[in-house]
Order: sequence, then structure tokens, then C-alpha cells
Amino acid sequence: MLPKGFLKFIVRRSLVLLTSLIIAVYISIMLANFGGLIDEMVKADLLTTITMNIRNNPAYAGLTASEKQKIIDTLYQSALEAKGLNTPFPIRSLYYLKDSLTLDLGKALYLTSDSGSKQVRLIIMEKLPQTIMLFTTVTIINFFLNLLGGLILARRYGSKIDRIVSWLAPTSVIPGWVYGIFLILVFYTWLHILPPGGMVDYPPPKDPFLYFLSVLRHMILPMLSWIISGLFLGLYSNRTFFLIFSTEDYVEVARAKGLPPSQVDSRYVLRPTLPSIITGFSLAIIGSWSGAIITETVFDWPGLGKLLAQALSLPDPPVIVGEVVIYAWLLTLTVLILDVVYAFLDPRIKVWGG
Amino acid sequence: MRKMMRLGLKIPLYVASMVLVFILLTPILIPLTTAVSAPEEIPIYKYGWFDEVDFFVVSDPAKAIDMLKKGDMDIYFMDIGDPVLFKTVKESPELSYDFSYGLYYELTFNPVGPETRNGKFNPFYNPKIREAMNMLVDRQYIIDEFMGGLGLPKYVPVCKGFPDYERHKDVIARIEAKYAFDEKKAKDIITQEMLKEPNVELKDGKWYYKGQPIVLKIVIRGGVRRQIGDYVASQLEKIGFTIEPLYKPTAAEASPIWMQGDPADGQWHVYTGGWVTTVVSRDDSDNFQFFYTPKSSQASISPLWAAYKPAPDFQEIADKLAEKKFTSLEQRTEWMSKAFELALQDSVRVWLVDQTAAWARRKELFVIVDYSAGYWTPIWPYTLNRANKTGGTLKVGSENVLSGDAWNPVAGSNWIYDNIISTATGMGAFVLHPQTGLPIPVPGIVKSVNLEVEKGTLTFQNPESSGWLTMSLVDKVEIPSDAWYAWDVEKKKVVTAGEAGVTTAKVKIVAEYEDLIGKFEYHDGTVMSLADWVWSWPLNFERASSKSPLYDEAYEGQFSSWRQLFRAWRIVSEHPLKIEWYVNYTNMDAELIAYSYVGLAGPWHTTGIGVKAEEKNLLAFGMDKASKNNVEWMNYIAGPSLEIFSTLLNEAISEGYIPFKEWNSQYITVEQARERYNALKNWYSKYHHFWVGAGPYYLDKADVMAHTVVLKPFRSLLQRELVISVEGSGTTDPEPGSHGYLGRETVTITAKPGFLSVLEKWVVDGVDKGASATITITTDKPHTIRAVFRVWYEAVIGIVAVIVVIVILAVLFLRKKRK
Repeated sequence: MLPKGFLKFIVRRSLVLLTSLIIAVYISIMLANFGGLIDEMVKADLLTTITMNIRNNPAYAGLTASEKQKIIDTLYQSALEAKGLNTPFPIRSLYYLKDSLTLDLGKALYLTSDSGSKQVRLIIMEKLPQTIMLFTTVTIINFFLNLLGGLILARRYGSKIDRIVSWLAPTSVIPGWVYGIFLILVFYTWLHILPPGGMVDYPPPKDPFLYFLSVLRHMILPMLSWIISGLFLGLYSNRTFFLIFSTEDYVEVARAKGLPPSQVDSRYVLRPTLPSIITGFSLAIIGSWSGAIITETVFDWPGLGKLLAQALSLPDPPVIVGEVVIYAWLLTLTVLILDVVYAFLDPRIKVWGG
Repeated sequence: MRKMMRLGLKIPLYVASMVLVFILLTPILIPLTTAVSAPEEIPIYKYGWFDEVDFFVVSDPAKAIDMLKKGDMDIYFMDIGDPVLFKTVKESPELSYDFSYGLYYELTFNPVGPETRNGKFNPFYNPKIREAMNMLVDRQYIIDEFMGGLGLPKYVPVCKGFPDYERHKDVIARIEAKYAFDEKKAKDIITQEMLKEPNVELKDGKWYYKGQPIVLKIVIRGGVRRQIGDYVASQLEKIGFTIEPLYKPTAAEASPIWMQGDPADGQWHVYTGGWVTTVVSRDDSDNFQFFYTPKSSQASISPLWAAYKPAPDFQEIADKLAEKKFTSLEQRTEWMSKAFELALQDSVRVWLVDQTAAWARRKELFVIVDYSAGYWTPIWPYTLNRANKTGGTLKVGSENVLSGDAWNPVAGSNWIYDNIISTATGMGAFVLHPQTGLPIPVPGIVKSVNLEVEKGTLTFQNPESSGWLTMSLVDKVEIPSDAWYAWDVEKKKVVTAGEAGVTTAKVKIVAEYEDLIGKFEYHDGTVMSLADWVWSWPLNFERASSKSPLYDEAYEGQFSSWRQLFRAWRIVSEHPLKIEWYVNYTNMDAELIAYSYVGLAGPWHTTGIGVKAEEKNLLAFGMDKASKNNVEWMNYIAGPSLEIFSTLLNEAISEGYIPFKEWNSQYITVEQARERYNALKNWYSKYHHFWVGAGPYYLDKADVMAHTVVLKPFRSLLQRELVISVEGSGTTDPEPGSHGYLGRETVTITAKPGFLSVLEKWVVDGVDKGASATITITTDKPHTIRAVFRVWYEAVIGIVAVIVVIVILAVLFLRKKRK
């Protein structure tokens, strides 16, 4: 049985987070639709496209100008209706909000899922696995690499390797896709041993295991580009983080007692920093689910980043909002869970009782 | 036939990739001469040259060139706009390139004035100033400096290399000479015209109107148009105007200003326009009305076009050309020549450059390039080959593969990325020549076409079609009363021309096909029947009628256009297939009339299963209808549609479903229907999609997640083996052994018994087929044929008997002689 105060805390936090979510989603809806201005662009585009299609399609060659105009008007109205543009934006924005909060996400204006559906939910869900496969994997690898590396460097503070990492840390300002281009040049153009992009060999292997291996092969370069990009700054920041903790009095005492370094690290450095590490890890994992626009474009990786690029260039606001909503929901839930876990586990956070 | 669109509507990624390339690489200018070459002879092979064609996504042209050089790609289905990359292609010994010309740039002027609503002066209201702009811009400079030489100067509203350009080359050459770059002349004319204007003055080299500087607002788009816009701005600034550039990189940003905005508001003066033509147009006579006059179809959507005020003689000639009022080719040429000159005098648009798009491939490939669409030509499945030999793999890179729009045979994806693949899986009676735009018959489909055209109709036959088309002019084209005119959606019956009271048409088309019925095969192994030709006659009417569950509002317009031109049709004979169409559609090229109607039927059962799905409101052929009915857009290659089709197919097999059964029951029996559905079921279980055609290639695999497609040649499905063997003494003609055939052929095998042997029986696939001297086999599948010979006992006994008799007689004779 949970204490009453704890339940109250959960409800209060949930309400606060839900309010933040609603506000954030509505702001996203307004921004993605330019406050409704995008309607005019979409309508103009629709009307022009329909008119040009009627003019250029030989199937309409037999009609007079007024007959063509009548068809244009009908098709235009029909398209407005199909896209929901016949409802004023302020009202539609509330529908968008409702769809977002219920995770229905509505229908895209232009984009379709790979299987031909207009449902934003399906469009996103189709791309999500590829993005998770690539970027969540690389986020996990990065996380542990930086964590362990950071610990080691903290232990070897001031050593040659520590100094090299510190010098190289600024190189992480170079985004992953730039490394991606270099890696393509080295491993494809020069050595010709890894594919320059795509997700699978062509033709795709029919055997599922070979298909999986082929996908893994295609993941090497994009993953490597992100690992290199985040490595030195990740090591540097983790090392600094652990360094601060490793100079705490209780750590010094542990060392003075003659405990072996691995025990000092795991018991006296890692344990108290665990909440921050878990928070960072959780947020990084969620962040990885939104993909990376340019990296996916450079490597022709069919993920959410590339989808967002397409949605922005068209523009297709329901898809843009859909991606934001998924992220917002995940973030909100994660924050709530973390709040609850910390409240429960961390004695320094007191949410109930005297 | 023309497909023209404002640049930037459906190709944002293309533009984005171009921008990316420009960001990543510094342009190096290379001077080039890119002349238009003469049309080529087209060799056609309809069963698929390659053993496998792989499509995959490579959106970065630089990466594509690298892959081409390494042999990881054979051809790139995307043009190379970047001069640096093109230089790489040119210098690479492994690669070759081709050009296309469908993209062009121009300057659009605001024609309202002299004063716009905001009280500002607009010099471009004056046609003479607009006309002088032709001489103020150096087209060659634009090509050399901004486009790396990949372009040709453009002065008139037709594309270089297209038929109307070639027909009027002499007039266009005169125009090009007259309006060649001459900065001083342009400045003189503009100055002279400006000084005629009240309240306009030139002070210290700057133009003023009512004491204020004359500001010209130039709407400048992205990409190369940014540089063109800046150049034009600098030219105008040099002659005294004050410039305010409005940088609007995308169509969405620029369109509300120049296209949707009222030009009378004076919010802009010049726009850097771009247009694209995706197929070779054979008749550009309506371009003058479209680009220059308020009678353009654009006027209904754009206040700009509504504001055009062409000179009365230009309007008249533009209208006459658009309405095809010429009575002879000579008259058309005369009007077109005049229109070209008047267009330059009007110059609400100043044409600048026909961009030369370069396309790259491996050198060893044989490619026919489309003058307009480059490698994106629907003829590629018939012509693209390596060293004129079948076999091998073709690896095709493309900016996009599988757009995500649904593939269905009625109202599916319209994306070029999808169509360029799906076109390989379907077959028609003709393909269009990618350079002349004239139809070429696909071998083995149509024997001949005869046109009877009403006298007075302006239609001409080109010499290229003399092998398959005959045309005659007749006083009257009468429609036989039993020809099919319509389908009554409520009564579910065909309405004949006699019942509808439709008696005449402008053209009668008679197509005599090869003997296709019962012989022509589809990818799933089913064989064409008459039902494939007639079954869908009700579909057109059902989709256009609100009383039908198949009604699609979006189809109404297309239907009414078709209805006005299509009068009636009938099938005259089944073997060989002969069909008559009666239509009111006319075209300057007689071949294109035939092309518009003489087709090839697809398999009825694949579309039929879609009809069943839409009748039940589980899926919809059209995207808008699907959206409104809240069902999925019907997709034959992926997604939730497949599961629905699979269920419906089982239903159709158990109930013996025949679409529009009131009509089709006379052409399809329940058994035939089941046979077709079972073939489709087998196809689905093997290939996991329902996309069945009869084109050179079939869809082997569509991986929508990885965006790759694998096509395989139809010949691999059509290859049939007859294994002939003999038992006993004797042989056969053809000789015993394995014989390969392509498709459904009739093979006669003759038995040749050995000495004192006789054919005992034929055994075909293990079944005794009698002992006739010859046997006829249809290569509908692989067969084993065994000719069983036995000793000719009858003859042996006869011979022995004769010998015995002779011997007895001889013995008797000798005995008698001794006695």
C-alpha cells in the first residue's frame, strides 16, 4: 500500500506534466501550421496542382474551358474535404490537439506510409523501428563507452590519454553526418568494403538471417559516424562528472581505507551518481527515437529523421506534429517515471510524511 | 500529351538535393556544347533484357557517381545538375552520359500599370520595355556562369529539339538573331520608352517617378534561379532602376506573391519562373494562349493571367492556334511563325534557358534517352540493355524508390518514382518514341490499324507509321446500332448506340490484333480471354455514378471528358481479335488518335478483386475516396490491403465471384473465375503481392521498408521446355531431346518409326495420347513427350509368311522339276 502523500505526489506531478504536454503539443501544432497560415499555402498548391493536372491530362482534352473549370472546382472542394481543410484552422487545431493527446495523430496531407496509408500513426510507426535499430543502438553503445571511458579517465586524471581526450573534445562539435561523409569516402570510395548507404543489400536477401546480417553491415558506417562524433566530448564530460564525485570526502576515505579502485568506483562513485546517469540515459534513449535528419539523408536510411525532412520540405504539418507528439509523450512519461522512482528511492527527495 | 507543371510543385526533394550538392561542392565552370541530336531508331524486346533489375535509393548524386564508377550501379535515374559532377562523369572512362531538355527558366513580368494600386510606377506594363528585356539579359552568360554550360539559350515558348521547335527552326533562328544580347540597344529602347512617361525622370542615372526612386521588386527563387535573379537585378540596376530582391526559395513561399497575389497591388515586378515538361510534346500550338493571354486555364487560379492584355492580333492568333482552327499544316506553320514574333513583342514572359539535364550511366549500357524526361522514359523496359544481349543484372539507383503511394490499376500512385517501375510490368499495344513522341507498335500485339476520318478534320499521318496505320477521309462516320454506347448502372445492362440514338462520330478506328485470345499470357500464367477486353466496360460508368458503391467523386470530371469524346465500340471478331472504336477525339497526328484507344487488356481478375473490395467498402481505388470513407487506399503491393485481398480471394473462390455478373456472366463462367483466382492466389503465395501484368518484367519483390524493388524478366516465366524421348526403334521431328520455347506456342511433333517399327503411342506427361503420326502440343507449361515405337509384327509376320510361301513354292517347284 502506497502512502497517501506519495499518491498525492504522483497525481500532482501527472497533472503538471499533462498540462505541460498539452501546452507543448498545442504550441507545436501552431508552429507546424504557421498559426494557420500554412493552410493558404496548401490550398494554393492544391488548386494549382489540380488545375495543371486537368490541363495536362489528355483525358480531359474533350472539355470546354468552363467544363474544365467546373471539374477543377469539384476536385478542389473534394480535396479540401479529404484533407479537412474546409474546417477553419482554429477549430481544426483543437481536433489536432485531441488526436495528438489520444495518439490517433490523424491523417497526413501529402505523405503516405510505405504501405500506402495516410494515417500519421502508421507512417511514424513504420519508420520508428529503423530509427530505433540504428540510433538507439548507437546511443546505448555511446552511453556505455562514455561511461566506462569516463570512469577510467577520471581515475587517470592528468595522464597523457586524459590530456589527448581533453584536446580532442572540441572535435565533437562536428556533427555525425560530416564524419559520415568521410567514412563513406574511406570505407566505400577508397577501400570499397562497406556500403555507402541504404538499409539492405539489393536485391534484399530472402533468408531472414542473411537479411539481418545485411542490415547490420549497412548500420556500421552510420553508427560509427555517431560514435566518433560523440566520443571525445562524451568521455570528457563523463570524466569531469566522475572527477567531481571522486573528490568527495567519502571517496577519499574509501581510498584511504585501501579499497581497490574498482570497488571505489562502483560503490563510492557510481552509486551516488546513478540517478543522474539514469536520467541522462533515459533522455538520450528517447532522444534517439527522433532520428537524425541529415545523417539519415546522407546514408539513405529510411527512418524518422528522413521522414521529418520530407514533412518539413513539403510541408506536411500533421506528420511534423505527429513526430513531436510521440516525442512529447515519451518524454512526459519518462519524466514522470523518473520522478516517481527518485521519490521512492532517493532518501534526499522527501514527498510524504513528516 | 504534354505534361507541364510549374517547377517545384512535386519535386521538393530534387531541389533540396540540388541545394545540398551546391553546398557541399564548389561549382567549377566547364564550357560545353550541348546540341540536340537526331531521333534514334528504337529496337524493342518485350520479354525483358535483363535477368534481374534492382532499384534502390541513392539520393545524393555525388554518391551515385561514385557507385557508377565502381560498378555498384549501372544507371542513375536522376539527372545530374551539378557541373562538377558532370565533369567527373565526362572524364570517367567507365561512364557515359545523355541529355534531356524538359526544364526551362524564364522571367515573368507584372503587366499592370503604369501605376499600381500603391501609387508606384511599373515599367513592365509597357510591352516595348518588356520586349527590350530580351536584349538586356545575356542568356549565354547565364548558361556559362551559373549552369556550368548545361543549357541552351531560349527565346520562344517551345523546347529545343521538340517537334514544334524543329518545324519552325528558321523563324526561331531569325528571332534569336533579332533579340540577341545587346545591352546598349536594350538600354536605349527602355530609356526612350521611360522618358515618354509622365512624371518619370532620369536623374544621375537613376529613374524616379513623382520624385521617388522607381523600385523594382524581384521575386527570386532558390537554386540556379537565385543566381539568375541576382544577375537580372544587376542588369536592371545598371540602367537606373532601384532593386528590392525578394528571396523566396520555395514555390510555397513565392506562389502567394506572384501567382495568387493581385498584380495590381504592385507587390512584385519580376519573378524568376521555371517550368518542366515531362513528355515530348508534338503540338505546342496552345502554348501562346496558355502563357500569354487571359484565356489561359491559369487565369481561373491566378490574378496574374487574368491581368494579361495581349495585342488583339496576338490574342486572336493564340486563340485560333489553341482551338486548332487551322485547316492545313501550311496555315498552322504560318500562324505559329506569326505567333512566335508576336510573343516576343508581348514578352509578358522572357524565356531565358532550356536547361540541359545530364544523365549518367555505365558506358556498356545501350540507352534510349527521352528528350524531355531523360532516362525516365516508359520505353526503358523494352530498350535498355547491355551489349544487345539478354541476361545479367541491371542495378538502378534513384532518388526515391516506392514513394509510399498505393499501387493499383485504377487510381494508384502518380509519382514518377513508382510509375517508372510499374511501367515495366505492364504492356500496351504501343510505346511512345521518346524523341518524336509518336507511337511505335509493340511487336506481336497489333497487326494493323485503320482510321476512317470525317472529311474536314485536321489530322495527318506521318510517314513513320506507314507500316501499321492506314487512314482515309470519309464523308460520314456512321456508328452501327449494335455498338456499345454505355452501361446503365441502375438496370445493369449495356446501352447500345442504337438505343442511345448515337449515330455518328468523327473517327472510326479499326484495330486488327494478332491472334491473342487463348494465347497471350499474363505474369500469373493466366491466358487472355475475351472477358479481359469487355469485363471493365461497366467499371467506368459505375465509378462515375453516385448510385454505385464504386462511385468516386474525383473521377466524375475525367469521365465526363471521356464521355464527350468516346462514342461507342464493338468487338468484330475474336480470332483474330478485331475491335472497332467510334470517337470524336481528333489530333493533328493520326497515330496519336490510334494510340489513345488501341490498347491491350490487362487481366480482369486482379482488378476484379479490387472491385469486390471497394464494393464492400473495405478499400478504395482513389486516394480521396479512401480518405473520405476512412478506409485504406487500395495497394496491390504492400500494407493492410494485402490481407484484405487475401481474404476476399478465398471468398471469391468459394462463391465463384464474377464482377458485374449481369454483364460478365456471358464471358466468364464460375469455373473460369475460380481458375483465375486460384492463379492469383498462387501468385500471392509466391511473390507476396497482387501486382500482375504482362510487361517485359514482373515484380519479384517490393521491399517497402528498405525502398528497394526487384524486377525479373517475363521470359523467365514464359520459358517452357518440351522434353521429347523415344522408346523402341524410331525418332521424331523435332528430334528427341530438350527443346525450349518462349510462351504459348503450338508445336507439331512427327513420329519417324525405324525399319520394321511402328508408333505404338504418344505418352504426354504420362498420359497415353494415341498413335497418330503427328501430335500437337501447346507450350502452356513444360511437357514430357514420349514416342513409343514397337516392332511392326504385322509386317514381320507378313514378310516371314511371304518368305515361307516362297520357300514352299520353291521346294515344290524343285521337287517337280526333279521328277
